[in-house]
Amino acid sequence: MEAGALAPGRTVVHDEHDHHGPPEANRSSRVEPSLLGMLLFIISEVMIFGAFFTAYFFIRVVNGDAWPAEGTELPKLIAGVNTAILLSSSFTLHWAETALKADNRFGFKAGMFTTFALGATFLFIQINEYVHIGFSPQDSAQGTIFYGLTGLHGAHVAVGLTLLAIVNTRAFRGHFSAKEHRGVEVPGIYWHFVDVMWIVVYSTVYIL
Amino acid sequence: MLNPLRSEEEAFRFLLYVVAVVVVVLATVLVVRAVS
Repeated sequence: MEAGALAPGRTVVHDEHDHHGPPEANRSSRVEPSLLGMLLFIISEVMIFGAFFTAYFFIRVVNGDAWPAEGTELPKLIAGVNTAILLSSSFTLHWAETALKADNRFGFKAGMFTTFALGATFLFIQINEYVHIGFSPQDSAQGTIFYGLTGLHGAHVAVGLTLLAIVNTRAFRGHFSAKEHRGVEVPGIYWHFVDVMWIVVYSTVYIL
Repeated sequence: MLNPLRSEEEAFRFLLYVVAVVVVVLATVLVVRAVS
């Protein structure tokens, strides 16, 4: 008889021995692995931003230095418009996710593409701001902290855009559905986190 | 309880709360600065 074939009258029984490949990884947490990974990652990110904010508050509160450095000015209005652009991208991302859950593929793809475009516009304006701002990181402690904080955030936007590009590519290839949307959800959480951080960075660096 | 790391929807709602809180804090600080 051929290997694996059943004798007449016998039925197939699936049990724990009917498993191919390596054993499944042990799960010590009730949280889904992909969400747990993002959770731990974001906690570490908050600590990194915290270190940069410590430097910012040190020179402003402990040292009592002028902010920004004397003879320099921060483009509050342009940064404000940029803030609105980034905030809008969170709305379009939420729209895309909601559309996907409702099986609206056009809404999903349009929302994801708009989110990417808004994020890329934010980064472009930020780089343009660096070109025209008129001071360098080495000019003063304030300059170092300004470029450090906004640059750290800009790097996060760049990472977020990479994730959004992957989601966009998969979306236009027909991936994801109303039931299978974890691959959109996790980058979405990251993108909202990047947006929250910008709200804090903008209000402390530009407004206060 | 709201957990922004559980789903995109909750993360979005958390973002809206942060925006609301930051607007209130900024408005308060700016008003106090203008008055004093």
